[in-house]
Amino acid sequence: MAASSLFGQFMGGLTTAMFLFLIASGLSLVFGIMRVINFAHGSFYMLGAYLAWQGVQWFHPTGIGFWAAALFAAVGVGVLGAVVERLFFRSLYGREELYQLLFTYALVLILGDAAKFIWGTQQLSVSTPPVLVGSVEIFGSTQPLYNLFIMVVGPAIAFGGWLVLNRTGVGRLVRAAQMDREMLDSLGANVGFIYTGMFVFSSFLAGLSGALVTPIQSIVPGMDVLIIVQAFIVVVIGGMGSFWGTFWGSVIYGEVLSFGILIFPGFSLFSVFALMAVILIVRPWGLFGRPL
Amino acid sequence: MRLGHCLGLALAAAVSAPFAASAADNIKIGFPIPLSGPTAVYGVPILKGAQMAVAEINAAGGVLGRKLEILSRDSKANADEAVRLSRELIIKDSVDFIAGTLTSAEAPAVSTVAKENKIVFLAPSSKSVVLTDAQHIHPYIFRVASNTDVEGLAGATEMAQFKDVKTVVTIAPDYAYGRDSISAFVKALQKQRPDIKVVDSQWPKLGEPDFTAFINAMLGKKPDAVYCSLFAGDFVTFAKQAAPLGLFKAIDNRLVDGGEVGTPDAAQALGADYPYGIVTDSYDPVIWAGGNEPPEHKKFIEDLKKFTNTQYASGWSIMGYEMIEALAEGVKKAGSTKSDAVSKALIGMTFDTPVGKRSFSEKSHETFAPEYWGVMVKDPNYPFAVMKDPKPLPTSFPGN
Repeated sequence: MAASSLFGQFMGGLTTAMFLFLIASGLSLVFGIMRVINFAHGSFYMLGAYLAWQGVQWFHPTGIGFWAAALFAAVGVGVLGAVVERLFFRSLYGREELYQLLFTYALVLILGDAAKFIWGTQQLSVSTPPVLVGSVEIFGSTQPLYNLFIMVVGPAIAFGGWLVLNRTGVGRLVRAAQMDREMLDSLGANVGFIYTGMFVFSSFLAGLSGALVTPIQSIVPGMDVLIIVQAFIVVVIGGMGSFWGTFWGSVIYGEVLSFGILIFPGFSLFSVFALMAVILIVRPWGLFGRPL
Repeated sequence: MRLGHCLGLALAAAVSAPFAASAADNIKIGFPIPLSGPTAVYGVPILKGAQMAVAEINAAGGVLGRKLEILSRDSKANADEAVRLSRELIIKDSVDFIAGTLTSAEAPAVSTVAKENKIVFLAPSSKSVVLTDAQHIHPYIFRVASNTDVEGLAGATEMAQFKDVKTVVTIAPDYAYGRDSISAFVKALQKQRPDIKVVDSQWPKLGEPDFTAFINAMLGKKPDAVYCSLFAGDFVTFAKQAAPLGLFKAIDNRLVDGGEVGTPDAAQALGADYPYGIVTDSYDPVIWAGGNEPPEHKKFIEDLKKFTNTQYASGWSIMGYEMIEALAEGVKKAGSTKSDAVSKALIGMTFDTPVGKRSFSEKSHETFAPEYWGVMVKDPNYPFAVMKDPKPLPTSFPGN
């Protein structure tokens, strides 16, 4: 096997990883802070994709159209997140996980049907924004510009998120809310507002990743459920609620999948599930998580 | 998790429960087919084609003086769900026939239900040879679609035309259809062009959202051409990811796809991103770039556009349409709606379709329908790729 194709395989794995990170980080964030497993996170991602397609139809498919549409989609899903959190999630905090699962699962069904009702069942597609069309040669392997762009956006958001959480006043409040909600409440901080803010941010990330995925994937009903399974695997590998865990979990997932396909072409999914099984047995709280 | 799953099932059951009592003397056709999930992009147009055939037949007075009625249910492309729905349709709704299912996961499963209940079952689109092979054939199963042997043979015929191709890699979804069609292709290609070597086979799952790793692995083998059986959203995703990775350039657009991506459905979804120059197939190209369009087909598409209220029709509706036409013809010929009589009538029966005559073979109860193959090209009249001079392939099929 030539070095250039190994490098291509590695870069492909990294692209997969960064997309997954964008999606899984929001899922992990909401779990880490609010202790809610949001099954509907994949549905927010799907809505982001559909809204981006809609935006491209409205804002013209050339020039800055795509970027405007992506922003529109991310903000739109963020607003939806705010509504859902204020109206419904609020009454779920502190309840048994089962209720949360039931509610978020119902949300998956409702949003899935709503998307089908509005956009139909046809597969939809968005073209790559003109600035990022084409590819460059790196070490003899062809790398699409758009993939390179995603490889920059992923870590940028990871690092930005880490900075906000660890170096700012807002981040301190968020971490405090994660550790002891009641104490923070009695100290006079508006915990409800912090929760809403974090949920909106998580929804915004889901919407943004849904929008950013449209130039390289088709938009179809069912993409919500497919992605949530992958995002869960990433979070299980990395550790529920750990920000860097999600980052490295994504990288491991992407690379194991990529090289697994190269080595065992007959069993493309085998390697990832095998890895998850091993981690669940050896370290059930994930590589970077803490035992519950 | 388990409880959430139960609730989901309960909700789904509640949604799909039969809502209205139907007229007692209608001929009822139970129709499980994916109406949600990624494969709904095929399920819905097939159902619409079937509904149009029912509307036409009923407008002309029905069959044996009775009206046809379709009871559609969402199978979610899931074999267990399709089986459950079929049983429910037979027992609770006392349907006369089962028609439908989309994938080669659902159809063989429903076929066993049809066999148990001695009720005629027509499958519009499942292609796996297993559905009607010597081990699985029974008097009540009929297949309107082509099968994977036919598809593989046609695909190999197209691939064999590329004189300078020496190495091929394949990629297909990892389930019955994909596995069967690739093995048929490889077998047929070895006969026609023993000099071509298949150097690698990739098996992404059905509904794979990310083909990057598969494409890189394929590029690593430096093939001269690619044969694939990806369809619908999978092909759209594959094509969008393969183009910037340089796959089409590396193989000089010598990609042959047996997954019916020559339909306007796939072409519209990709728009300007369609990999022009590839060779692919379709049961119904809908738009004939060239001018060899059969006149019956022209009328069919005009009617279909009106019936579905769309600007360009789907390439899948024809399968639902043909299936109902065949069933109605069989009932007429049998003079009865009893499955035993209808089965006897259907075996060996020839029927008309908008793209020519088809007959159910006596041995395997399938039509061996050729599909239309051709190069996908730009056309100034359409904002998406269309098939140039579609030709039916294979022209003859050994064993039929």
